Amino acid sequence: MFLEIQDLSVKIENKNILKGLNLNINKGEVHAIMGPNGCGKSTLANVLAGKEDYEILNGKINFKDNDLFDLNIEERAQEGMFLAFQYPVEIPGVNITPFLHSAINSKRKRMNEEEIDNLSFAKLLKSKASDLGINIDMLKRSVNTGFSGGEKKRYEILQMSILNPDLAILDETDSGLDIDALKIVTDGVNKLKTKDNSFLIITHYQKLLDYIKPDYVHVMVNGSIVKSGGSEIAVEIEKDGFQKFQ
Amino acid sequence: MNIQDNYLKNKKNIFFTENEDVENHRKKLINIFEKDRFDKKNNESLKNVNLKNFLDFNYKYLVPEETSVINNNHDNSYSIVSVNGQCASFKDDKIEITKILDEDYNDFSKNDTIEKNDHFVNLNSLFLNSGFKIIIKKNNNIKIKISNIITDDDLTIFQKNNYICEDGSSLNLIEEFENKNNSTSNILNVIKLEKNSQLNHFLIQDNAPDHNLIITTHSSCKKDSIYNQKVYNFSEGYVRNFHYSELIETNSEADLQGIFFLKDNNTSNNKTFVKHLAENCKSNQVYKGILNDHSKATYFSNTHVDQEAQKTEGYQLSKGILLSDNASYFSKPELKIYADDVKCSHGSTIGPIDENAIFYLRSRGMSKIAATKILISSFINEELSSIDNEQMSEKIQKKLVRYLSQVK
Repeated sequence: MFLEIQDLSVKIENKNILKGLNLNINKGEVHAIMGPNGCGKSTLANVLAGKEDYEILNGKINFKDNDLFDLNIEERAQEGMFLAFQYPVEIPGVNITPFLHSAINSKRKRMNEEEIDNLSFAKLLKSKASDLGINIDMLKRSVNTGFSGGEKKRYEILQMSILNPDLAILDETDSGLDIDALKIVTDGVNKLKTKDNSFLIITHYQKLLDYIKPDYVHVMVNGSIVKSGGSEIAVEIEKDGFQKFQ
Repeated sequence: MNIQDNYLKNKKNIFFTENEDVENHRKKLINIFEKDRFDKKNNESLKNVNLKNFLDFNYKYLVPEETSVINNNHDNSYSIVSVNGQCASFKDDKIEITKILDEDYNDFSKNDTIEKNDHFVNLNSLFLNSGFKIIIKKNNNIKIKISNIITDDDLTIFQKNNYICEDGSSLNLIEEFENKNNSTSNILNVIKLEKNSQLNHFLIQDNAPDHNLIITTHSSCKKDSIYNQKVYNFSEGYVRNFHYSELIETNSEADLQGIFFLKDNNTSNNKTFVKHLAENCKSNQVYKGILNDHSKATYFSNTHVDQEAQKTEGYQLSKGILLSDNASYFSKPELKIYADDVKCSHGSTIGPIDENAIFYLRSRGMSKIAATKILISSFINEELSSIDNEQMSEKIQKKLVRYLSQVK
């Protein structure tokens, strides 16, 4: 099993958010989690990425044969986990290019791979940016600073394509995107899909899943997964909402 | 020993004791000391100051045996090594350097911008034992680098320097303070910018823990002149940066900026004050601080806009990052506006490093310490990237790397 979440319960500030959640993802699979506002979808994404604000009450998570709780935030990233943020953080003064260069090399170092030099990295970045319709001038700017909502999401996908993760978690990547931007972003994701990597896509709407075809769709309500199945569930939700699952 | 006794005992080493006007002024200062008794409650210039260091000082001053070195590098740049506050006289067709004169003392003592109860400035006037005057002659474009050296332990330097930029002149002035010995420098720079002149003033402060630096600047700007000041404080000893600007004629500008890096139990007190006295003038006051361990800082910024000073633009900003729960940064911005057609603002944001930004960077594989360092560097990126002198930029980068290496 690539990612195995067993009976996960999590709280923050005395509020229980995840309540006995189970989820298994195999290599090469695309899973989608859909659920109403406040059901714990983003909490799950943040807990997987290692955000330290949460208290783990119970449960186990295994990722690539590692106990995930033994790894800190950066070690999870270096092991191949990637979270595309719902609200990417603006970091004025931190230039995109050296930041991403440093990120990719920290991963390579952990994997005992040779670090990528400046010139090769610049070429790689330019080509990936071009694939995503990202203007080269944007790469001279500070991380997410002054970006529109669409630019921020595209930039998340650019980072993902550079870091080439084993498991990518997309937390409401479709929110705030117009239809053209959604297409560019989802095309980027589809290009990255291989038999060796997996995706966990968190969304409210079926629209995103028209572009990225999931193998499994899970409905999450009140901190746990209440139904799992194929794409037909997304269609059902689009038609009837989440009411019937609550 | 009280201040008066200390003064009388050391009178022979102190400048201008023969001048009646100077002595009358000093009598007034002694009266202020006697009355005020360094009451911290009513004096913001004393907040966080360990007064024992300054009141119980043993007055000790050595006149340097060798005169300071001045090199005319023939590209309009000059290097000065000021030893114990002194600088040798020098003259060419572009600049003139002399000792400070009693008339300069008397001229400044009439100015009322600096508060009467700023005891450090008053101590400077009372115990004055060094200083020089530099005149940049009309329409010249000059660069000067001054290395301020203190030769011995336990010295107390009370130094007053005058800078005069004549009409149409331009001066790039870099002052370095890198003292390793147990000593105190109390320096007052009095700067006069004549019409259409400009002074870009950089102060790089990197003293050892035992050196106290109290530096005060008073600049006055005439028509179309510009005073830009940038302070980089990496000192491990106490530093007080108090800088005052008066915009006395139209279309003049003052930009007072500073960044400071504190750690251990160090303290830094900072103040900027801009007095707008004429129309169409601009000012900017920006201080940023990074505080680790048990360090403390204060920053008082103040914009005063006189009734006559219509069309004023005056901005203030203070920002601070607290790297430890035990560090503290007190910031107090003030605006006093007596004109009705002005654009003025102030802002202050102080807090721990942004945890969301740390999480974001770590989620891309960067270690916590690397993320913290990159965020500190980005916090001051604007100030560092605006340095257009390569040598100075390298020097400051090295000092930043040294500070960051101690951030855990």
